[in-house]
Amino acid sequence: MIDKRTTLAQAIAAIPHGARVALGGNTLHRGPGAAVHEIVRQEKRGLEIVKTAGAYDVDLLCAAGCAAAISAGFVGYETPFGMAQAYRRAVESGAVEAREHACATVIAGLRAAIQGVPFMPVAGLTGSDLPAARGFVALRDPYSDAEVFVVPAMIPEVAILHVQEADCQGNGRIIGTRFEDVLMAKAAQRVILTAERIVDGTSFEAAPETVAIPGFLVDAVVEAPGGAWPFSCTPLYDYDAEYLAVWVAVARDANAATAFIAEHILARAGVPA
Amino acid sequence: MMAVAMARLLHSGETVFHGVASPLPMVATLLAKRLHAPDLVYLNITGATDPTPEHLPISTVDPALLHGTRSLVTLADLFDLSGRGRLDVAFLSGVQIDGAGRINLSAIGPYGRPSVRLPGGAGSAMLMPTARRVILWRTKHDRRTFVAQLDFVTASGNVDRVVTPLGLFVRRDGRLEVESLHPGISPEAFREATGFPVAVGPETPVTPPPNEEEMAALRSVDPDGVARSEFGRKIGRV
Repeated sequence: MIDKRTTLAQAIAAIPHGARVALGGNTLHRGPGAAVHEIVRQEKRGLEIVKTAGAYDVDLLCAAGCAAAISAGFVGYETPFGMAQAYRRAVESGAVEAREHACATVIAGLRAAIQGVPFMPVAGLTGSDLPAARGFVALRDPYSDAEVFVVPAMIPEVAILHVQEADCQGNGRIIGTRFEDVLMAKAAQRVILTAERIVDGTSFEAAPETVAIPGFLVDAVVEAPGGAWPFSCTPLYDYDAEYLAVWVAVARDANAATAFIAEHILARAGVPA
Repeated sequence: MMAVAMARLLHSGETVFHGVASPLPMVATLLAKRLHAPDLVYLNITGATDPTPEHLPISTVDPALLHGTRSLVTLADLFDLSGRGRLDVAFLSGVQIDGAGRINLSAIGPYGRPSVRLPGGAGSAMLMPTARRVILWRTKHDRRTFVAQLDFVTASGNVDRVVTPLGLFVRRDGRLEVESLHPGISPEAFREATGFPVAVGPETPVTPPPNEEEMAALRSVDPDGVARSEFGRKIGRV
């Protein structure tokens, strides 16, 4: 069997500029923090980020100039830290395009990609300005004459997911909520898995139904203890509220954010976080 | 007051969902289960089905909300549930809310080049037309929030009630009407704080204040006052 283990630097180096990148997790939880920091260090440009609900990941990639477009239903830190200020500023200045979704339309786009069909019907969206703003069209149901909105397939070139346990082949166990990670793994052309720890895959054989990510869909596996930081990774650690509070305060100012990134992220190559 | 008012709107046997950044709906749903709706099914983005959290998180996607769940669904499953008409209640909010109960969570100013880019509507454009009842809540009640004209319609649909710090709206024939004023709120203050015309006067009912049983249950469900985090207050055991 192929051993897919590699370094974070090598895994991220394979992502081309301008790629559509799906990030696992949701708001403050189980995002691929270490991989996002490596994207910033490698100065990727022009990325389209796909996520239902993003927070620090989207905000940082906007602040660092890595993102050109954000395809998400929600970008914010939830009540404790408020709005994603760097994202907000990037969209308001025109530097980043907000490709706004309902979270359900991100899921529908991924499902179309998974099934190899060009688009996917999605319930609702009536009475919203979103379809017109985003070019989502309604089609007539050929069987009943009812109308239904359809969203185009969204095929990420890369999905980056952080899991608690993986084996060398990329079989990945997620403890707790899987969010959209499984959909992303199936929809993407390439999958990078970062894992708190690499384990002997024979330990998965007793209960393969607990393995969320099938290894044959995965291209690269990186051992990254603490690799969700500053996101939470249940049951190992909570989100880093102290760090996030510092970042959110710094992110209000473009120059302060740039200085913070230079000092705390660019200068720390090789550090897991 | 708001958590209790929201809890009173929920019924036993209903499926009830809240999304991200929703401490008040989280507390209200658990409160309703404690008080009068033991068979309500509590759903949230963690995929937990009827969890019994040991402590309430500020992030409403927190793994703490998995505690006690005996099965897990996905967010896709929850949207599917709503899509086929089986979600009874969705709690949603808006930075702007108009007189028809439509919401804006997308942008202030021109959509393509906004003066303020907002977080986005999350699931609301899909949930608002498909959930059987939508309860909107907002901890601010002023003319910047309750507006005559939205800058962008992020979502519209099956709004039933709107709960604010000043009172309750009910939606009848597609328009928000004042259902009750919270104790101590004058009709003039309510009218003054609302950017669209409302019929409100001395005859407008007063929201019954939380009774002792409701207050005791609230203290038991939310001892740290997580619901108050939405009002910008510090959290701490009271």
